[in-house]
Amino acid sequence: MKSIMLRNNRLTMYTMLPLLILMIGCAGPPANNPLLNNARDNYKAAYNDEKIVRLAPVELKEAEEALAKSTKLWESKADKTQVNHYAYLAEKKTMIARETALMKAAEQEISDGETERQQVMLDVRRADAQRSEQRANSALEDAQRERLAASEAREGAETARLSAEESRLKSEELAKKVRELEARPTDRGLVLTLGDVLFDFGQATLKTGSMQSTDQLAKFLKEYPERNILIEGFTDSIGSEAFNQSLSAQRAENVKNALMSKGIQSDRIRTFGYGTQHPVASNATEEGRRQNRRVEVVISDQDGVIKARTGPN
Amino acid sequence: MIVGVSFIAACASTNPPTQQLTETRMVIERAEQDGAQEYAPLELRDAGIKLQQAREAVDAENYKKAIRLLEHARVDAELAQVKAVSAKSQEAAAELKESIRILKEELERKNK
Repeated sequence: MKSIMLRNNRLTMYTMLPLLILMIGCAGPPANNPLLNNARDNYKAAYNDEKIVRLAPVELKEAEEALAKSTKLWESKADKTQVNHYAYLAEKKTMIARETALMKAAEQEISDGETERQQVMLDVRRADAQRSEQRANSALEDAQRERLAASEAREGAETARLSAEESRLKSEELAKKVRELEARPTDRGLVLTLGDVLFDFGQATLKTGSMQSTDQLAKFLKEYPERNILIEGFTDSIGSEAFNQSLSAQRAENVKNALMSKGIQSDRIRTFGYGTQHPVASNATEEGRRQNRRVEVVISDQDGVIKARTGPN
Repeated sequence: MIVGVSFIAACASTNPPTQQLTETRMVIERAEQDGAQEYAPLELRDAGIKLQQAREAVDAENYKKAIRLLEHARVDAELAQVKAVSAKSQEAAAELKESIRILKEELERKNK
């Protein structure tokens, strides 16, 4: 009771009144009115509720006015019906104030909540947007990765095509080179015939004019390092078998030396002298003999292998 | 104001409180419209009974009693109305709170 009085002056009026009345009551107090007492207690409780004071000031004021009337009537010992009437109004108006405060608080909650809900919905949408952006990004990354893979595959195919093209060109080039060397394909491989024009009669030394032929052959061997050669020497039937054998071997050996002097490794070149064997023409005529005096160069396959000579050429 | 007016009216109770009857009836109707039948049936019933009693008092030309009853009926109806609106507002606030909670859960899931 004291704390209430200290808290508010206006309230003091109502709290003091019954005290005054109580004092007067000593000289003959009005009969205690439970309805009024109850209304007053409820009003005080509402008045001490900060929320009700703040949210339902008008309703609380009306309750206060009804309570004041009831109290005044009671003090002046008015008709009990009248006292009760205003006590009832005060009671109900206090309840209205209390309910109004609850209603206002709920309305405020709705208003705040609506703002919050919109914020959260915005956050949800933002999260959605973020997620779909992430999904889009990862899809984009996937697409880029796939594109890259496809492009690499394409490049791979292109490389393969180029390498096929290259090897095709290479073999074409080889064929061209072989043509330049005037080599002819045989079942032993490519065979190049260096005619007797390279050598003087009965001599093994290469003529200076033959340098061009050996140049071309050396160049060919440098370009195709996987290929080896077999140099075979042949003579016509004039002279002894031993002489011709030796001469043919010497001629082949000299061609080998010429190639080695142009940078071809000796292990890529084998030589053999056949003497009068394997004539390509009749030794009965000068023309035939000229054709038989020759050096043949057999070019290996790309594994460096040369098939052995079988039977007469 | 209303209390003051009715107080004056109560003093000068030589005429039937026709205006107050109409007003009280309207307050009761408004309370019904706001859902008092569902949310504050007792208060609404009190108001209705007192309005009826007030009419009977008017018929008996007991205007003082009629005015008192009308004032009670009116405050009962006002309480019924505010109770109904308050209850509905509180329900709406609770629903909103729940929807926010669900949204926040959803947000949390999405942010994971």
